Amino acid sequence: MPKVARLHAILWGVFSMGGFIAAFLLPVLIYLVGIAYPLGLWPVANADPTSAILNHHHLGTLFLFVTVAGSLYHGIFRFQSTLTEIGLAPAKRALEAIGYLIIVVGILAVAYYLLLLNPNVLSLP
Amino acid sequence: MSKQKPFPEYRRKLGPGWWLSNGHFTQYMIREWTSFFVAVFSLIYIYELSLFATGAKDSALALMRNPGIIAFNVLALLFTLYHAFTWFYLIGKVQPIRMGKTTSKPWQALLVNIVLLLIIFYAVIQILVLR
Amino acid sequence: MSQDVATIRVTRYRPEKDGKPYFQDYKVPYRKDMVVLDALNYIKANLDGTLTYRWSCRMGVCGSCGANVDGVPKLTCASFLHEFKGRTIKVEPLSHFPVIKDLVVNMDDFMHKLVEIKPWIIREKESPPEEGEYRQSAEELERYDQFSSCINCMLCYSACPVYGLNEKFLGPAATAIAYRYIEDSRDQGKAVRFPIVHELEGVWECTLVGECSVVCPKGVDPMLAIQKTKILGATNALKSLVMPRGGK
Repeated sequence: MPKVARLHAILWGVFSMGGFIAAFLLPVLIYLVGIAYPLGLWPVANADPTSAILNHHHLGTLFLFVTVAGSLYHGIFRFQSTLTEIGLAPAKRALEAIGYLIIVVGILAVAYYLLLLNPNVLSLP
Repeated sequence: MSKQKPFPEYRRKLGPGWWLSNGHFTQYMIREWTSFFVAVFSLIYIYELSLFATGAKDSALALMRNPGIIAFNVLALLFTLYHAFTWFYLIGKVQPIRMGKTTSKPWQALLVNIVLLLIIFYAVIQILVLR
Repeated sequence: MSQDVATIRVTRYRPEKDGKPYFQDYKVPYRKDMVVLDALNYIKANLDGTLTYRWSCRMGVCGSCGANVDGVPKLTCASFLHEFKGRTIKVEPLSHFPVIKDLVVNMDDFMHKLVEIKPWIIREKESPPEEGEYRQSAEELERYDQFSSCINCMLCYSACPVYGLNEKFLGPAATAIAYRYIEDSRDQGKAVRFPIVHELEGVWECTLVGECSVVCPKGVDPMLAIQKTKILGATNALKSLVMPRGGK
C-alpha cells in the first residue's frame, strides 16, 4: 500500500534549504577561516576571523550557526543519497543511521559551543 | 498469454563503475561528491569552535595554520563553489521565471546567483569582519 | 560499382539456445537517409529473418523501437546512420530491462508503474454531458502540456542510473505522467496519486542526474516533473505539520 513518506519529504526540504546555505554562505566562511587567515590574505588584519565574527554577538553567532548546521546537514544528506550509486546499497541503512547521528551530534555541538562563546546570545538585543 | 516463462530472461546488472562510462554521469558524481567536502569542512570547523569555546584558542589557530588543513580548505572552497554553480544552474532549470513573454534560462539564473553570491561574500566580510 | 556499406553490430540472445547474449555483425547498404530501424528491417528482410525487435510507426510517435544505439538509449527510427562516427554501429537492447530475445526487453515493470499512477482524469463526481465540457484556459493547459507528450518509449528508464541500480524506483516517465495529471485543472485525483509519487521509492530516490531529460525524444523533461513533484511533496508535508486538519 503506497504511503506518503512525510518525514522524508520534510528532511528533503531541509536538505534543499541547506543547499542554498552551502552555496551562498559557506564559501565566505571557508575563505575567511581556512584560507585568508592562515595565508594572511585580505581582509584578515590582526584578529582571527572567528573571533571577529563572534564579536558581533547576535549576527555573527547566527551566521556561524546557520552556515555550519545547514552545510553539515546538506553535505551528509547528499552523500547519503549517493550510497546506492557507489555500490554501498547493502550498508545503506547502517550508514544512513550513522549519518543522521553525526548530523544531530554536530548541530547540537555547534549550538553548544556557540552558546559557550556567546552566552548572552539568546537574550534579546 | 501463458504465465509460464520457460526460457530465462537475461538480466544485466549495473556495475559500480557506471558513472565512468559517460561524461554527464562523471560530472554528476563530482557534483554530488562536493557534499563530502561541505560536510567534512563543517566538522573540522565545529572542532575549531570547540577549541575556541574551551579556552584552547591557540590550538584552534594552530590547527587552521596546518598546511594539510589549508590544502584541504582550498579543495573544499573549490568544490563548494562547484556545488554553488551547479546548484544555481539546477535552480534555473527547475524554477524558470516568467518575464512577460519569455521564460528565464538556466544560464541566466547562474549569472544572477553568482552576482548574488559575490554580494553576500563582500557583505559578510564587511559586516562581520571589517567592522 | 562499389556500394557504401555499414556494419550493424546487434545483440543476439535466443533464450532457448544461448546462455548469454553475443554480438552478430551484419553488413547493410549505407544510404545517407537511412535510420537504424531501416538497417534492422533490411537485415530481417534480406540477411537474417530471425532477428527480433520491436517497431511500429517508424516516425517517432509510438515509442516502440527503443534500443541502446552505440550505448545511448534512442529510438531506432529516429537515429540516422550518419549521426554516428564510423561505419560500425552497435545496437543493444534498452538497458535496465530484462532481455526476452535479441533486442526485445521485458516492459512489465514500466507497464505496472504506468497503471499504478492512474494515467486518466480522476473526478470526484463525473458531471453529466448536459452540463457541458470542462473548461480549461490556455494558462491551465500550459502547466501540464509538455508532460503530456510522453510516448512511453522508456528511454528515460534506460538512461537513469538510479533505476538501473534500484528497480523499485518509480522512475522518470511514470512520475512525469503522474505530474501531468496532478497539474491538470480537470483532475481531482491528488489524494490518489500523491501516495504513489511521494512514497520512499517515488520521487525521493531521484538524485537529479538529469540523463532522463537528455535522452527524451519528445522534450518531456521528466527531471523537471520529478523536481516539481518533490517540491509539492515537501510543501504538503510542511503544511500537514503546521495545519494537521486543514489544507490538502
